[in-house]
Amino acid sequence: MKILMFTWEFPPLISGGLGMACYGMVKALLNLGIKIDLVLPTREMVYFPLRQVSDVDTLPVIFFDKAKQSKYEKLLFSNEAQRMEHIGISESPESYFQLADIKRYSISLKKEYWLSERVSEEERDVWREMTNHLVGDEDLIHKVQEFTLRAEKIAKLLEYDLIHAHDWLTYPAGMLVRKISNKPLVVHIHATEFDRAGGPGDERVHKIEHAGMTYADKVIAVSKYTAQMIMSRYRIDTAKIRIVHNAFTVPEDAVFTKERIFQGPVILFLGRITLQKGPDYFLEMAQKVLETHPDARFIMAGTGDMSRKLLRSSASLKLKNRFLFTGFLNRKQVERILRASDIYVLPSVSEPFGISPLEAMAYGITSVISKQSGVSEVVNHAFKIDFWDTDLWVQTINHLIENPEKSQKMGIDGMHEVNRIQWDEAAEKIRQLYSATLAEYIRKQK
Amino acid sequence: MLNIIFYFQVHQPFRLRHYNVLDIGQGTPIFDDKLNCEIMKKVSQKCYLPTNALLLKLIKEHEGRFKVAFSITGTAIEQFKLYSPETLDSFKALVDTGCVEILGETYYHSLSFMYDSNEFLDQVHMHRDLMKQEFSYSPETFRNTELIYQDRLSDLIYEIEGFKSILTEGVDRILQWRSPLYAYKNYNKRINLLLKYYQLADDIAFRFSNRDWPEYPLTVNKFVNWIDKLTLNESKGRNQFLNLFMDYETFGEHQWAESGIFDFMRHFPAEVLKHEHLGFAHPKEASSLSNYQQESMSFPEAVSWADEERDLSAWLENDMQHNAIETLYELLEKIKTRGDEKLLTIARLLSTSDHFYYMCSKYFQDGDVHKYFSPYDSPDQAYIYYINALAELEEKLLR
Repeated sequence: MKILMFTWEFPPLISGGLGMACYGMVKALLNLGIKIDLVLPTREMVYFPLRQVSDVDTLPVIFFDKAKQSKYEKLLFSNEAQRMEHIGISESPESYFQLADIKRYSISLKKEYWLSERVSEEERDVWREMTNHLVGDEDLIHKVQEFTLRAEKIAKLLEYDLIHAHDWLTYPAGMLVRKISNKPLVVHIHATEFDRAGGPGDERVHKIEHAGMTYADKVIAVSKYTAQMIMSRYRIDTAKIRIVHNAFTVPEDAVFTKERIFQGPVILFLGRITLQKGPDYFLEMAQKVLETHPDARFIMAGTGDMSRKLLRSSASLKLKNRFLFTGFLNRKQVERILRASDIYVLPSVSEPFGISPLEAMAYGITSVISKQSGVSEVVNHAFKIDFWDTDLWVQTINHLIENPEKSQKMGIDGMHEVNRIQWDEAAEKIRQLYSATLAEYIRKQK
Repeated sequence: MLNIIFYFQVHQPFRLRHYNVLDIGQGTPIFDDKLNCEIMKKVSQKCYLPTNALLLKLIKEHEGRFKVAFSITGTAIEQFKLYSPETLDSFKALVDTGCVEILGETYYHSLSFMYDSNEFLDQVHMHRDLMKQEFSYSPETFRNTELIYQDRLSDLIYEIEGFKSILTEGVDRILQWRSPLYAYKNYNKRINLLLKYYQLADDIAFRFSNRDWPEYPLTVNKFVNWIDKLTLNESKGRNQFLNLFMDYETFGEHQWAESGIFDFMRHFPAEVLKHEHLGFAHPKEASSLSNYQQESMSFPEAVSWADEERDLSAWLENDMQHNAIETLYELLEKIKTRGDEKLLTIARLLSTSDHFYYMCSKYFQDGDVHKYFSPYDSPDQAYIYYINALAELEEKLLR
């Protein structure tokens, strides 16, 4: 079985949970013998033919342009970073491709795809919904347009049994390839615009999400929480939706032993500092917990559009040197901050899944997580609280600080629990979904 | 007679490294030795050494008729010793001429006056001891960090033996109809006050190389002419004092050598001394030279020489600055109670006012000046590193 997979993030190109999830999932799928041609928003038009497990780290690459491919084959790279630079990948999402390289997207998606007489009115509506909303002057929209146009070429050049597209940025690409190739499409919902925006969000994104899910043969949701969102907010046919929870596989070189930085209790927020993640709730609980436990330290690890606001607010609340900001942390630094922490909190307003708590739990850190999250469906040894119930968060954190032994036990139980949440299981579910989708599709063709 | 009183501020802070949470407890140095060394060497080459040489020459040429005053912070002296001992020697040579007055201030160029009177007095005494040790000099004139002044300061300084005068800014809202050209007394007439004549001082310090300034270029003739005109308003023969107070780094650093600032200074004294009714004086001489009853002047609110506002807003305005400084003084108190001398020194180096200046988030022109002087990308970054350093210090204290 061969899958054509579109995603916006994959290590080393990574900015959030999507990249981590795709990495774990693809690795486990390869382990099941599934072949994957991976397409990323790289500067050069390339794909990554992944055939064996180790390919997720080595990322073999093929250029669509034959001349470029033969030039690439002759090149010798002194290191991996140099090779990635050649393809147009770096850790920074800015380097996906240069906007200057993009010719104006003049709705050149061929109209005949949905104007032919055989196309049903419903299908025509879905296409209109997507094309009419993939417009705008933002860099990101232009990048999605470019990605979609490339998909049109890719559709004809590669051979595959099924298309798998992750999150809205790649839905137009997935839709187009399905239309051209007549192969089934699975879309994967890691987050909806409702989650990201922490409110209504961008109308265009909702429409593209809706079109993608409507046009897809199957929709994978990362949690029940997300499945419910898809049903209630997007009115997607329940029969199409499958839930596959994310997982977390501990990196082999991870070190778990505690290494304290601070003598008092350390409470950690780890993630993007943005409305969705509830950083303002974290600040509020810090203020209240510090009234009872002035020796505690609250660490806000990460960056985001609310960093500055949070920084200023923490100063105005006079939290002294008890509320600290780390700025952006790389993977090794994340490990160090985890090893130095006692309590992990995830006060997200809306978290489709949330891999980060699994990582924290793997380090034996007692976790307190928002009920409005997918991850709360898969773990038992963590406290689960409504994001808005600040008093209960405060009580819980105080309780954990006051009962370190209890807290520690919870952390260790959590660690054992997380060690059982492996990607293999999730990948097996996806494999079954692929097979069923293909079988159904072939039946329909006859 | 109009006496020009030059006072130059010599100061360098110990700047912090980009100190992150993960540096805490790792033995990573808090201070950026490399950057501090680089800046000291650069400023010594561009400003301190050439300007000292020029002043020494001028003092010798004019045989006692040209004189200046310096206030040199403890942190600057420490950095001279570490990175540029020849600069310290050149200051010593200047002081040895007898034509240089050395002023007193807080050793760490701190805002301790606003937060902790005992710490303030400690730092003033530390500075007095240092001046005695390095220059065999006992200051008689005091200037607080950034010319910050308020009535209460005069009470504290009056209690310290040896101080007879204080310098501060000639703030319009305090002066009102009065002129900064006369010597005043503090609110209860115990101590002399000299007020900076900011229009002319800032012409040199801030506007000298500004091509958008209508008076550009500032020539010696033009400037001395302006000074001469100031004497016209005095008909009763009272001695006047033109207080030109500025950062010493004005020469060659804020105003580059290419701007002609050194040529200006080279020819300025001779041009002044051509006029019989113009001369130079030291701050400590003002009181005996004032041939009139010195009026008292009250400063109920704190003033400074910084920015348009001439208040404390450059250091103590936004929440980051307040939280940072309050946390520092609380920690300083704990360290003193514990009696840990090593940590006390670090805390005091963190009391230097520059750290709070870097956190200033005022916009427009003044914001630009702040940015020019800051080793960090933004006030927020400056705050983060500072708070992390205070966390490190506190963890050390707990250990």
